[in-house]
Amino acid sequence: MTSIDIRARGLVKRYGQTTALDHVDFAASPGESVAIMGASGSGKTTLLHSLAGIVLPDEGSILVGEPSSVVELTEMSESDRSEWRRTRFGFVFQQGMLIPELTALENVALPLMLGGRSRRDSFASASTLFGPLRIDGLQSKRIGQLSGGQAQRVAIARAQVTGASVIFADEPTGALDSATSKEVLSALLESTTGQGRTLVIVTHDPEVGARCDRVVHIVDGTLLATEPGDRVVATGRA
Amino acid sequence: MRGVVALRLAGMMIKPTGVSKATVALPVVAFAVATAMLLIVVGGASEIFRWTGADVDKYRSLAVVAVVLLVVPIVTLASSAARLSARRRDDRLAILRLLGARPALVTAVTVLESTAYAAAGAILGVALYGASLPLVGFIELRGAPLGASALWVGPVAAAGIVAAVAAVSCISSLVGIRGVVVSPLGVKLRTTAPRVRWGRLVVGAVVVVVAILVMNSIDRGGGFIVIAAVMAGVLGALLLVLSLVGPLVVRLVAVAEARFASSPVRLLAARKILDDPKGTWRAVGGVALTSFIAVVGGVAASLSAVEGQGDALLLAADIQTGVVMTLVISFVAVGCSVGVNQAAEILDRRQISISLDKLGVPRSVMERARYRAVLMPLAIASLAPAGVGVLLLLPQAGATLVTSPQSLVTIAVGIVGGIAIVALALLATRPVAASVFRDERTDA
Repeated sequence: MTSIDIRARGLVKRYGQTTALDHVDFAASPGESVAIMGASGSGKTTLLHSLAGIVLPDEGSILVGEPSSVVELTEMSESDRSEWRRTRFGFVFQQGMLIPELTALENVALPLMLGGRSRRDSFASASTLFGPLRIDGLQSKRIGQLSGGQAQRVAIARAQVTGASVIFADEPTGALDSATSKEVLSALLESTTGQGRTLVIVTHDPEVGARCDRVVHIVDGTLLATEPGDRVVATGRA
Repeated sequence: MRGVVALRLAGMMIKPTGVSKATVALPVVAFAVATAMLLIVVGGASEIFRWTGADVDKYRSLAVVAVVLLVVPIVTLASSAARLSARRRDDRLAILRLLGARPALVTAVTVLESTAYAAAGAILGVALYGASLPLVGFIELRGAPLGASALWVGPVAAAGIVAAVAAVSCISSLVGIRGVVVSPLGVKLRTTAPRVRWGRLVVGAVVVVVAILVMNSIDRGGGFIVIAAVMAGVLGALLLVLSLVGPLVVRLVAVAEARFASSPVRLLAARKILDDPKGTWRAVGGVALTSFIAVVGGVAASLSAVEGQGDALLLAADIQTGVVMTLVISFVAVGCSVGVNQAAEILDRRQISISLDKLGVPRSVMERARYRAVLMPLAIASLAPAGVGVLLLLPQAGATLVTSPQSLVTIAVGIVGGIAIVALALLATRPVAASVFRDERTDA
C-alpha cells in the first residue's frame, strides 16, 4: 500500500442553475480521517464524488498521489480515473451495494479478479480480511442472508482488498441502528486509519464526525469550517 | 368504491415521465409484436384449415404443431411485458403505500395499469399485423403464395386476440407484483436464491412415460381430430418436461461455471443464472422444443424430398418453409422477450450498477456478464435439443443427411440466425444501460 495525499483547490460544480460546489478547497493526508458534514443537498456527496474522480468538477484541480509522483485527477480520461478508483481507492456506500447474487467472499474477491489476479489468489487474499473484520464464517453466504452490519463489514473488506490507500465512505452507517453503527464505524476506522489509510467520510451523524480526526462543514456548496472531530459533539454541529 | 379509487389512481399514474417513458414504450412494443405474431400464426393456421384436397390432414396436423410450438414463446413474451410494466411502477407504488394505501389497492392499480398498456400494445399489434400481411402473403405453400387476404383473421378473431393478450397481461402482472414486496419504504426484491428441485427429473420422467402410454392407447384410425389431439398432447407433454428439466440443466451448467470461473464476467454471469434458473429458462426456453422439432421436421422433409415425387415433394418443401417460419417466429418472440426482461433487469439493478461503476468496475464487464447470462442458457436451450434431434435421427436418416444435407443446413442456419436475433435484442438494450449511468451523473 502506498501513501496518497489528496489536495483539491477551487472546486466548482454546477448542475444547471444549482451550484453544488462553490470554490471548495480540501486536503487529506495519509492516515487521516476526515468527515464531511452538512445538510441534505449541501454538496457533500458531490465533493466526495469529485475527490474520488466519479464526477468531474467544472473548475478547480484535484492532485492525488504520493508526494514524489502527484497526478491531476481532473485531467485523466474516464477509463484512467476508473482504473484509479479500482486500484487505489476503496468505497463504502450507505446500503453496502454488494452484488446480491454473489457470495460474500466473491464480492470481496471481485476487485482483485478485475485487476487480473487469478481466482485462487483473489479468493485467498479476500478470505484473510474476514477474520479481522469479525465476519469469519460468512464467506459463502449470499448478501441477502447477512444482517445490515455484516453486509457493511463485507463492503469494508471489499474496499480495502486491493490495498487501496484512500477509502471514501458515503453515509456508511446511515442505514444501521445505533449499536451496529458504532461497531461498523470502529471496524472501518481500524481497517483504514489504523492501517495508515486515509478515510474520507460523508455523514449526517455528529457521533461519526466526533470519531474522525477532522470535520469539515459544507453549506450550500461552500466549505464553512474545519474543526477537530472531538469538538463536533460539543458544538452539536451537523 | 375501491374499484373507482383504483381506476382514478391508475389514471393519474399512467402518465409517463423521464426514465419511465422507456419502461412504458418497451412493454407496449412487446405486446404489439406478440399480438402481430399471434395473429399471423392464427391467420396461417386458419387458412390451412380451410383447404381441401390431397394431404389436407397432414397440413392441418402440421399447423397444429406450429401453433402449439409458437404459443409458448409468444405467451412468454406477453408475460414478460406485463411483468415489466407491473414492476416498473415500484417508486410510485411505494408512495401510494406511504400515503396509506392497502396492498390490495396497490395491486389493483398495478394490474389495471399494465392491462391498459397491454390493450394499447395489442391494438397497435393488430395494425402491425395488417401492415405486414402483404409481405407475409408472399410465403409460398402448395406451390403458390398464400396471399394477404388469406391470412386475415377477421375483426372478431382480432378483437378476441386483443382481449386474450390483455387477459394474459392481467394474470402475469398479478404474478409479477407477487415477486416484490411493496412497503412504504420502497420495493424490495427477493434476496434468497430459489432452489431447483431434483424431483423435477422424476416428474419429467413420469410425464414422458404417461405420454408414451397415452399415445399407444389411442386409436390411430380415429381420424384427424384424434391425430391432432395426440400430437398436441405429446407436444404439450414435451413442453412440460422441458419446463421441468430445462431449469435444472441450466442450473447444473451454471454451478460448474461458478465453481471454476476464472474471469469476473464468467463468475457474474453464472451467479446471475443461479439467482433465478427458472426465470432464466422461462426467458429462453421457448426455442427448445422449436429447435428439436425443426431438426426432426427438417430431416423428415429431406427424406420426403429424396424418396418422394409430385405432391410428396411439394409437402416436403412446405414442411421446410413451415419449419423455418416457426423457427424465425419463436426466436423473434424470444428476442423481444429477452429485450424486455433485460430492460427490466437493468432498471431493477440500477443502484448496484451505479455503485459498481463508482468502484471502477468497467461497464464493459457488467455488459458482457449480462449478455453471457442470456446467451449461454439460450445456446443450451437451442443447440442441445437440436443436437439430441440429430443424434436420434442419425440411425434412420444418416445416409440421407450426408447425401442431401440442405434441410439440416437450413435448420442450422435458422438456429444460428435465431441466436443472432437474440444477441441483437441484447445489444438493443445498451441505451437503457447507458441512460442509467447518464442519469446518475446528472443527479450526483
